[in-house]
Parts: sequence; C-alpha cells; structure tokens
Amino acid sequence: MAAFEDDLLALLPRLRRFARALARNAADADDLCQVALEKALRARTAWQAGTRMDSWMYRIMRNSWIDTARSRARAAETFVEEEAGLAIGAEGDAEARLVRNDIDAAMHALPDEQREAVALVLVEGLAYKEAAEILDIPMGTLTSRLVRGRQALMARLGEAA
Amino acid sequence: MSVDPEMLMAYADGELGPIEAKRVERAIAADPALAEEVARHRALRAALGARFAPVAGEPIPDRLAAMLKSNVIALPQPGARRTVPGWARWGGAVAASLVLGLAIGHGLQDPGYVRTQGGQLYAAGKLAGALDTQLAADSGTVRMPVSFRDAQGDYCRVFTSPVADGIACHGAQGWALRQTRPGSAGARTEYAQAGSADPALMAAAQEMMAGEPLDGAAEARARSAGWKR
Repeated sequence: MAAFEDDLLALLPRLRRFARALARNAADADDLCQVALEKALRARTAWQAGTRMDSWMYRIMRNSWIDTARSRARAAETFVEEEAGLAIGAEGDAEARLVRNDIDAAMHALPDEQREAVALVLVEGLAYKEAAEILDIPMGTLTSRLVRGRQALMARLGEAA
Repeated sequence: MSVDPEMLMAYADGELGPIEAKRVERAIAADPALAEEVARHRALRAALGARFAPVAGEPIPDRLAAMLKSNVIALPQPGARRTVPGWARWGGAVAASLVLGLAIGHGLQDPGYVRTQGGQLYAAGKLAGALDTQLAADSGTVRMPVSFRDAQGDYCRVFTSPVADGIACHGAQGWALRQTRPGSAGARTEYAQAGSADPALMAAAQEMMAGEPLDGAAEARARSAGWKR
C-alpha cells in the first residue's frame, strides 16, 4: 500500500495550506495536519482508490478542525486579550506582527462556517459544488456563507490597509 | 434588473452559466458600482491566494513526512519532488499591494502582475509579458496550457503562475482577467498532474471556447498578429 502514503505525501503541501487558512497559527496548522493524517492512515480502507483523495482529505481535515473547537475557543480568548493589550499601548513588536498578519487576523475574525467556505473556495481554489460536497451543505448555504465571509474580509482588510 | 450579492460573487468567480453571466454583465454595464464589487471580489481572491500559496511551497516538517514513511520502502524525499520557489518573497509584496487595492476599491496600481482599469482586472508586468509571448509548449514559472477564441472572436489564454491561475482574454485595453484562482505553479505535485491547469479552470475555458483550442501553429500565428482578432 505504498501508493496510499505516496499520494498523501504528494497532497501534503495543499493540506498544509488549507490547514493554515483554518488554524490560527503555523504550529496549530501542522498539529491539525498530524491529526488528519493519523485519521486518514487509520481509515485507509475507507478510501476507495480511483476517487478523489483531495476531497476525502479536505473533509477529514475539516472534521478534525471542528473537533478541536473547544481548544480554539480558549485560544480566541487569548487572542482578544492580546488585542486589548495592544490597544492600551503594548510593545511595538506585537503591533508589527499584527499589521503583517492582517489577512490572518481578518480570517480568524470570521465565524468558523464562513472561514471554512472561504478557505476551500478562495485559498484552495475549489468550485462551489466541490466545496459544498466537502462541507456537506447545499449550494445555497455555501454561497450565502461565502458571500458573508467575503464581505466581512473586504470590510476588515479595507480598514486595515 | 437587480443582481443579488451571491450572484455577483458567483459571476466574479466564473461560477455562472453563460445565460446568467450575460444577465449579470448587462446589469454591470448599467451600474459601475457592480463592476467595482466584482473587481473587489477578484482582488480578495488574489490577495488570499498570494498570502497562502507560499505555504504549499514550504518544506514539509519532518514529523509529518515521517508519518507517511514509517512502513514504506524507498519513498522519495519530499524535498526531491518540490522546488522551493523563489517567488515566496514577492508573493508577499503582491498580497500587500492587493490589500492596498482593496482599501481604495479599485486602485490596484501595477503590483507587478495585475492592474485594474474601469473596474476590470488586467494582466500587468511579467504576466502580461508571458501572455504576449509565451506559447503552450514553453516552460517557465508562468505557463499557458491552452489558448482559444471565445464567442466574440477574442483570443483567450489559460495561464498558471505562482500567484494566480486564470483565463485572460485579449482586447483593446490588454489582457482582461476573466477568471482568477490561487496560483498552483510550484505548489502542485504529481498527484494533481504537475503542469496541468486546474480542472475547474479548464471546464470554464471549455465553456467560453468557440470551436477547438488553438493548435501550435495557430497559436504562433495569433502571437505574430499581436493577438488581435
């Protein structure tokens, strides 16, 4: 079954990119990749050769990300604290980091359901139909989440720049 | 007629069928604010693409690669199948320019690859140069897998590059970007068939195409004629 691992390894650059768009930093993104790879390796018999491995893996990764919701909620509190600290004049280093990461910050400000839609369509370049299938939602739901997510990003990045 | 935000977004993404797209185009012609919104959608896509594309070019962390190698004999090193692209640095610059462009609505002033004019995105710089001169058979960071003529008789080309993939059509103002997606070149692996364009992009090209794609000779003739219809 070397081909299975080989295909996963070939997909890994795209999976890491997707994870980076979902998770709040690079370390969390690679932790998420690790969890998803573990699940994929355990579930390898569930994957049917000849079907699209990328869709299958995007789904596993997205579900793994949802599973970590609790720890992310904790992290979100920390993030808000950092931001509040900055507002009252914390070190310039943190400020520079925030400016550099304004896209990341705007992404993290999105509700999960909008962020995952944006990540699949705008970061991974999937068609709406493919993204809706991975998220297991109707097309209309996908487009309404996507349009709200994009409007929020455009408003926030417009202010930031 | 009125165009709802979802439909305008789907138009910007090339997700509408030809009839719906025509309806939106008519509405856009009557309302410059709609054209601006389309340009903002495309600029956002390009900015997110440029922000996250370099991640796919990073070396794979050992702990992840090791998970896929433990039980397996003689897999190639991950480094061996990827070239770490030198565009990672200016990818950030493009993202910054695009974000700046978002701030002022439609003022992307030549960030190197893309410019806007009248609410429409056009190829600039290196991308415009490649669209003008490169043939499908040529290799490079920017590639042109397919050229064709659309229903209006304009020459259009599918392109792939590190920053964005898309379809550009030649007109009086230059190469108008009809479709843009996050860049794939440099990030693709054999799994996704290195060097070939995104299937969704190829499907979009198929829909725009009048007749067959240009063969090598027709493409060279079109280039000599300056891509004028």
